[in-house]
Amino acid sequence: MHHELTVWSRGIIMDKEARDVSTCIATAARKLGYHAENVSDYVDDPDRTNCLVRRYARFADTPILDRFVYENPHPDWVVLVEETIIKAVNFFRGTEDGSGVLVVNSARDPGYLLKFLPDAMTKKLNKLVVVDAVGLAEQRGGSPWMFVRDLSELAFDRMSTEGAVERLAIGMGIAAPLIGALVAATGELPIDEVASVVADRDAMLRGAEQHKVIQYASA
Amino acid sequence: MSVRGTHIPEHLRLPIAGVTPPPTEKEGQRLFPTGNFRFFRPVYRDKTPPCNHACPTGEQIQKYLDFVKHDRYLDGYLTILEDNPMPSVTGRVCYHPCETACNRAAHDEPIGIRSVERFLGDFGLNLEENPIKKDLPPLNGKTVAIVGSGPGGLACAYHLRRKGYASVIFEALDSAGGMLRAGIPAWHLPEEVLDKEIAKLTGLGGIEIRCGVRVGSDPGGITLDHLRTGYDAVFLALGQDVGRRLDVEGGRSRGVLGALEFLRETGLGRPVKVGRNVLVIGGGNTASDAARSAVRLGGGEATIVSLESEDELLIVPEDLEQAREEGVRFRPQHSLVRVIADGEGNVTGAVLCQARLAKDENGNVRPQISEGTEFEVPCDTILIAIGQVQVLDWLPESFTERGLVKADEYGRVPDDSEAVFAGGDVMRGPSMVVDALGDGKRAARDIDRVLSAQPLEPDGPVEVMPYERLNTAYFRHAPRTPVPLTPAGTRSKSQKVEVTLAYSREEAVAEADRCMSCGVCNGCDNCYIVCPDISVMRDARENGRYSIRTHYCKGCLVCVQECPTGCLEKVPELDFDEPDAVVRMETAFAPYDGAHAEQAPFTRQLIEDAIAEYDRSKTVQPNGRGVTP
Repeated sequence: MHHELTVWSRGIIMDKEARDVSTCIATAARKLGYHAENVSDYVDDPDRTNCLVRRYARFADTPILDRFVYENPHPDWVVLVEETIIKAVNFFRGTEDGSGVLVVNSARDPGYLLKFLPDAMTKKLNKLVVVDAVGLAEQRGGSPWMFVRDLSELAFDRMSTEGAVERLAIGMGIAAPLIGALVAATGELPIDEVASVVADRDAMLRGAEQHKVIQYASA
Repeated sequence: MSVRGTHIPEHLRLPIAGVTPPPTEKEGQRLFPTGNFRFFRPVYRDKTPPCNHACPTGEQIQKYLDFVKHDRYLDGYLTILEDNPMPSVTGRVCYHPCETACNRAAHDEPIGIRSVERFLGDFGLNLEENPIKKDLPPLNGKTVAIVGSGPGGLACAYHLRRKGYASVIFEALDSAGGMLRAGIPAWHLPEEVLDKEIAKLTGLGGIEIRCGVRVGSDPGGITLDHLRTGYDAVFLALGQDVGRRLDVEGGRSRGVLGALEFLRETGLGRPVKVGRNVLVIGGGNTASDAARSAVRLGGGEATIVSLESEDELLIVPEDLEQAREEGVRFRPQHSLVRVIADGEGNVTGAVLCQARLAKDENGNVRPQISEGTEFEVPCDTILIAIGQVQVLDWLPESFTERGLVKADEYGRVPDDSEAVFAGGDVMRGPSMVVDALGDGKRAARDIDRVLSAQPLEPDGPVEVMPYERLNTAYFRHAPRTPVPLTPAGTRSKSQKVEVTLAYSREEAVAEADRCMSCGVCNGCDNCYIVCPDISVMRDARENGRYSIRTHYCKGCLVCVQECPTGCLEKVPELDFDEPDAVVRMETAFAPYDGAHAEQAPFTRQLIEDAIAEYDRSKTVQPNGRGVTP
């Protein structure tokens, strides 16, 4: 058993959310006794709002040999913290055919989102999981942009301090329902164990229950 | 050191450790379609400004103000003519619902739209040739009968003519204009202006006005059946020109007149006698007009007696102020109890009492009179301005309801021919000139649809731009240009001197320049200037005057934030259902798919060997020590 999780997000405004997803999965996996790695701050440390960023985690029941590779070469779990990324980039590069689990934070109909994937990418899709993380998260602020942070917190990130310090507990805001949906849809990690490392446990459990799945390929 | 334009050899273009070498300048944007950064797209979406929405004719006010601002008066004039045939008239007499709705009122003061309209209207009246005449379609052989040559009838005839229909207007009075002539005093709307506007309409060809023909009531005259059989469609716009009577003791005495009848006689230039001490009963605009005309004619005093309190008076504010300046007095919250006449039946006074306005559950006015407060005032003329009606007994009963012509949402009268429409006061009760103009415009549109066998459709929903969505930081506070007025002392002595005067060219331009162009792109270039990505292009006009380069726009939304008019909106990128238009990057930064992010076999072997060695070292021996090779 070997899983590679790549979380795609937007620079600065949703960067912490992506980091939280990879960190929580890696932490939970390690607590469960798996070999796990979390690359939550590598390469994409942009000081640019909106630009694409990636966070990686992987875990396996055998030692992870890709020691000096930080970017997942064969991601089979992909989380899109912001829905528009579905049409922005080839997030299934290196994924094996019929094995990709794609979790999208969106309130839209899964069928609508699927339209944006080209054939080359749907070939790799195993299941599409759509969770309205914005709707399920603890509501703070009025804008999906600054959804979990107020201006001062955002300004803190703007000083390129990302990753150097964390101002919030890990697994808050829209990260929590995303983790819930991912764990529930993949079924590889027990939900309760993962929930124990997520700060906003309730929102994580809401995400685990309320998401839509399209089983695309029988893996 | 700048790397812009540096040539990078092919073999070095692979991303190294995720860091992509800088591309050549020429290739840069192709390699990095940074539009993928964006999850909101700026879109130019024009909304309806509140002035435009409030105007019953739907005048595109923002558009013509913008033309005036740029000294393009003919374009501005033509813009008005699309909706309103007589800007010189409405520019003088309109009660300007546009100004009431103007967002600028929340900023400082509303735009003087009516005065700019008058400026354009007078500009158009002075043109030698009617500029729309050369673009009119030829007559299509169909003729519409119109009853009434007031604003509703004239507007209907005009808009029908623009669609190729001829029309015949039947007017009961000896000259055309309806209430514009017979209800509005000349000091509001000079006769020459009205004559010129009507001449411009009849000059288009295909519009015939038959004066002195009262449809329906003259024995042996034209009846509704004549109209229905002799014409392709009928538009009833006969207005309400009969003053409502006040049933009080002495109400038939000599000197008690209907205000409407009084205004009509003076408007038509007939001799009218009015005393020096006039009472006007009523609290609306007719009362104000009648009182001010009485002051001019009689040279005496006029007092408006109304049930309404000062705040409730239904007189437009500027008229109220002008009336006060001219010496009109007010006696609010009073009612006429009876008229006192001498032995020959001439009015010598009136008994008034305190009262207040109350309405029953149907909305009808029911004065509440305070008993025992009666008192006498001397007067020699009493003008009654408590509403107006129309004689409709010549119409079939199914056409009328509560003294008005009954019509559906399209202004269509329930008739088998399905081609009888109505509009203006006779359909909606006492209302504004511009309401009638709007009804005429809509009736023309719908008559055209009926006669060309198209379905009637209601107007679609519109999005009206609220003040809150403007970026008001861009609009400096500027006071409204005051409208010049003739001094009260001069104007109150003459029936002919116009009270409100025109803006000069400079004033009209200055006033038009105050327009905030609510929700409509006016080409201010702000988006073009503020875009940090050179993604707003000015060379092509999509919806606004600009286009967004969607492959490169990163969605920073600075343009949306800084759009003064609010015509730029952010729209979620995924709302655009165009999967084929997607430019997908291969990875976030690396444009090439290559050896990126794979463990080299040699390195993998090193790691595997190291792990094996570690595992062996952890194998526990009976002596408690690890195995040594």
